[in-house]
Formats: sequence, C-alpha cells, structure tokens
Amino acid sequence: MLSKPNVEVSNKSMLGRLFRKNNKNIIGIFTVVLALLFISPYIYIVLTSIKPSSDAISSSPTFFPRQLSLENYVTMFNQMPIIRYFLNSFTTASISTILAVFLGALAAYGLSRFSSKTGHAFLLLTLCVRMIPMISIAIPMYIIINVMGLIDTRIALIITYTAINVPFSIWLMIGFFNNIPKEFDEAARIDGCNVFSAFIKVILPVSLPGLATAAIFCFMLAWNDFLFALLLTSTNAKTATVGISEFLTAYNLDLGPMTAAAVSFSLPIMVFSILVQRYIVSGMTLGAVKE
Amino acid sequence: MTKESRVSIYFFAPAGIFMLIFLFFPVALLIRDSFFEIDMIGQGRGAFVGLSHYVDAIRSERFIGATTNTIIYVVVAVGFELILGLFFALLLNTAFKGHGIVRTIMLAPLMIAPLVSGLIWRFMLNNQFGIVNKLLYDFNITSSRHAIQWLSDERFSLFSTIIADIWLTTPFMMLVLLAGLQGISPTLYESSQIDGANKIQTFLYVTLPSLFPVMIVAVLIRTVDAARTFDIVWVLTQGGPSNSSEVLSTYMYKTLTRYGQVGESSAMAVMFILLLLAISSYFLFVMFKANKK
Repeated sequence: MLSKPNVEVSNKSMLGRLFRKNNKNIIGIFTVVLALLFISPYIYIVLTSIKPSSDAISSSPTFFPRQLSLENYVTMFNQMPIIRYFLNSFTTASISTILAVFLGALAAYGLSRFSSKTGHAFLLLTLCVRMIPMISIAIPMYIIINVMGLIDTRIALIITYTAINVPFSIWLMIGFFNNIPKEFDEAARIDGCNVFSAFIKVILPVSLPGLATAAIFCFMLAWNDFLFALLLTSTNAKTATVGISEFLTAYNLDLGPMTAAAVSFSLPIMVFSILVQRYIVSGMTLGAVKE
Repeated sequence: MTKESRVSIYFFAPAGIFMLIFLFFPVALLIRDSFFEIDMIGQGRGAFVGLSHYVDAIRSERFIGATTNTIIYVVVAVGFELILGLFFALLLNTAFKGHGIVRTIMLAPLMIAPLVSGLIWRFMLNNQFGIVNKLLYDFNITSSRHAIQWLSDERFSLFSTIIADIWLTTPFMMLVLLAGLQGISPTLYESSQIDGANKIQTFLYVTLPSLFPVMIVAVLIRTVDAARTFDIVWVLTQGGPSNSSEVLSTYMYKTLTRYGQVGESSAMAVMFILLLLAISSYFLFVMFKANKK
C-alpha cells in the first residue's frame, strides 16, 4: 500500500466513495422491494393455498393467512385423481424429453461432423418451427392422432412433444458439438471405437452440460403444455395442467383447491429451476446474445 | 458420397424421419385441408373449395376482431415487457450488494407455466374474491369493492389477460437484456467518460445502441410467443365476454373443437403462420441491416 501523500484529496475521494456507496445501497434496497413486489402474486397464491378454504374465497381477502390449514390440499386430492394427472404429466414429459434429446444429439452430431452449412440450415429450420403457432400444429395433429386411433393416450402426447422439441434439441446440441474438437473423435477411433461407440463413450460425456440444458427446456415445454393436452386427451391421459384448469368453475367455489393444485404443480419446478438456473440462463440467452 | 458423409446421414436419419412424419407432414396436411370442405363427424374429405375458406375468414368479423385483439395483445404486452425488463436489467446491472439474490428472485417465475400465471391472475382479478379490487378500494382508488369487473367487463377483459402475460415474461426480457448489458465492452464507457458525457448521454449514445441487436432478438422472440398465446387467455376469459378478449389461437381452437370446422380453422392457421413468418422476416431484416452498419 502507498502512504498517504495528500490527505485532503484522499478525504475527498473517500467522501465521494461513501456517497457513491450509499447511492448503490439505496438502489439495492429499491430493487429488492421492487423484486419482492413483483414476485408477490406468486407468494400470495402459496399463502392462500394454506388458508382454510372459507378464507380463500372470502370477499375481504388478506395477503397473509389468519389461520393455517391444509384443507385446500385435502379437497384437491378428494375431488379429482390429481396424482394420476401428475403421473401422466411426468411420464409424457420425461419420455418425450429422453426421445427428443437422444434423437437431437444423434442428428446434431451427424450434422456437426458433416458440414457446417447443414448446421445453418437447421438454425433456420428451428427458427421456422419456433415461428409456427402451436395451434397451427395442433389442428392437423388432432386429425392425424384421431386417424391413428391414439386420442386420449399418453403416446399421442409423447409423439407431439418430441416432434416439437427435436429441432430445438438439434440446434442446441450442434452448438455444443461444434465446440468439441474433431481430435476427440479421432483419438477414440484410434483406440478402437467405431463411430457410434465413440459418440456414446467420448462425445456424449463431454457434452453433458449441453444435454442438461436441452433436457431442461424439452421437459419444461412438455410439463407446462396445456393446449395439446386439452385437445388430445379426455380422461385416461389427462395431464396436470388440464386437471387443474377444471377447478375453475362458474361460481368460483373451488378456487381454494385450485390454488393448492397450482402450487403443487409449480413449486417443485420453481425450486428445481433455481437449482439449475445456470443451464436455464445459458439456454435462454442462446441465440440472443453472442458469446 | 464419402464414407464419412454416409455415416453422418445415418446419425441424422432417426430424427429426420421423425420430423418428416410428425412435423412436416402435419404442416402439409394443414395446407391441404385448408382448401377442402371437411366434416369432422363423418371423417370424410368433402369437396375442393379453393380459397373460399380464406376469403370467408378475411370477411368474417370475428376473425378480424381476433386478429386485432392479437395485435393489441402483442404490442401492449411486449411494449411493457421491454420497458420493465430494461428497467430491471439496468437496476441489476449496478452490482449492489445482494444483486445475485434479487436476480434469483426475479428469475423464479421464468419457468412457471403460462397456465399457472393465468390461474394466479384469475384468482387475483376475481370479481367477488379478488385481492386487486380490494387493494384498489383500500387505497381509495375505486369507490367500491366490485368497481372493476376485470374479467367480465368487455372494456377490461383483454387488458387483464395482458397483465398476466406481462407478469409472466418480464423476467425473460430482463434476463436477455441483462446479458446484453454485461456484454457491452467497458472501454466504450471509459471513452464516453473521457469525452465528458453525462449519465443520460452515456445511456442514450452508448448503452442503447450497443444493446439494440439484443433488444431486437428479445422483442422478436417475445412477439412470436405473445402472438401464439392460448393458455393465459383460455384460463382467464376463454376469449369472452362476447369475444372481447378473443385472440387468434382461442378462436381457431373453438372453430376446430366447438364447430368442427377443420377446413376453416386450417385456412386461418395457414394465414397465421404466414403472418408470423412475415413479421419475423422483417425483424431479421432490421437486425441484418443493423449488423451491417
């Protein structure tokens, strides 16, 4: 550290620093308050779900519960087979995710080692698929699934989610594979791997972060889907989103259990997404921000 | 063909075949169906009707109304999201103590289903039990607890669906813009400081232009997603009352499921695709021009 050559100047800058630091603190407190205000609708739903059901639909609602109760959760379980709906959501989302990520990774590997031009074509295709409104795919899908006799089956949903997710998964994985030098494959081949086992044993393990990002987004799309589940299922394959929406009745009497269902559906995802935020951020800013 | 490229094709084939059957074929079917009279009940393909579904749609008041509502929805929602997102991104970019925690709080709704956002706002904007009306009354903004019928008044229904959209996706906007802000080179700020620019000048002449390409992409992504909105509107109003919050997705869904008009809904869906492709090509064109400069 240097000695203090000029006390006055250093005092001045210290004052300035103090002021600036305070300024920063004010901005900090302001931002924290705004952020809490922003998230408060969600907190309100969580708090409402643990109110007695008469308080949940009181004409003079309070933000914080006056009394805690699990009544809404009990009603939710009694009123509909919600566990089956959640299981349907979970199986369709996970199977379609595995399929989309695996098919996507295979295709992306082929493309990235084949030529970079096809990679660009895929970027364009992914963009186009992203532009197509879901409802426009849903209309012909409904007809096709109907003809195949798959209405109200989980297979119908798995097929649909996989189809929508494959282009995205290819695009994301191409980016990752392009960053893996070709020497990796060559080294594996020299060690006696064939092309396929080199892919499975060498390339896939190094690209785990990419696979994780792709899997998170594919899973979320399927888990959160409402439109296709509403259109393609009725009883057996009904998913959680459609089930929850059925708590909305004309006279609003089931709003309490509805909040319980909405929280059960979204809170695990919220916690999970905070844990894997790194992957989500990298997936969402991909394409928008150049590295 | 070399051995290498043949191997690549084997790798690509499974995904390619899957997309061919379940992605390209449906789109092709959609285009074909839009030219036919199709009866859902009989499952039969009827007469070829040419462009008449398209003409009927353009002439119908409900289709025009749904298109107008979709445009209002997109412009208002994305506009607010851009302003709010930029505001939060700038705040978070000041790196105060604990900005990491705030970022986590703000990003928490990122993965919430649009359906859940719809449910939350359906509950909060409820005419009888909603907390929003109660707060407005408590703060003396409105004169009664039921002053605004958010979801059943034709003047407010579309606006209410937009609120749910803004709440749900502002974090995405913030995230992308924050990444953009952090990508601006510090030397740019240093040189503007040397040039004696004040904070507002720096913002207008350094921050905004550097952020422009990122902003375009973020607005493009959000525009397309907002235009496709279905879940939020369906849960909040189902397009009602008297079609005041009807958007294209909900209208097509009803045309297909309630009236069984496959041909009509297909024609609208094709026009919807073309509309979105046109809008995004325009955005990409703007971005391309900006990059060239």
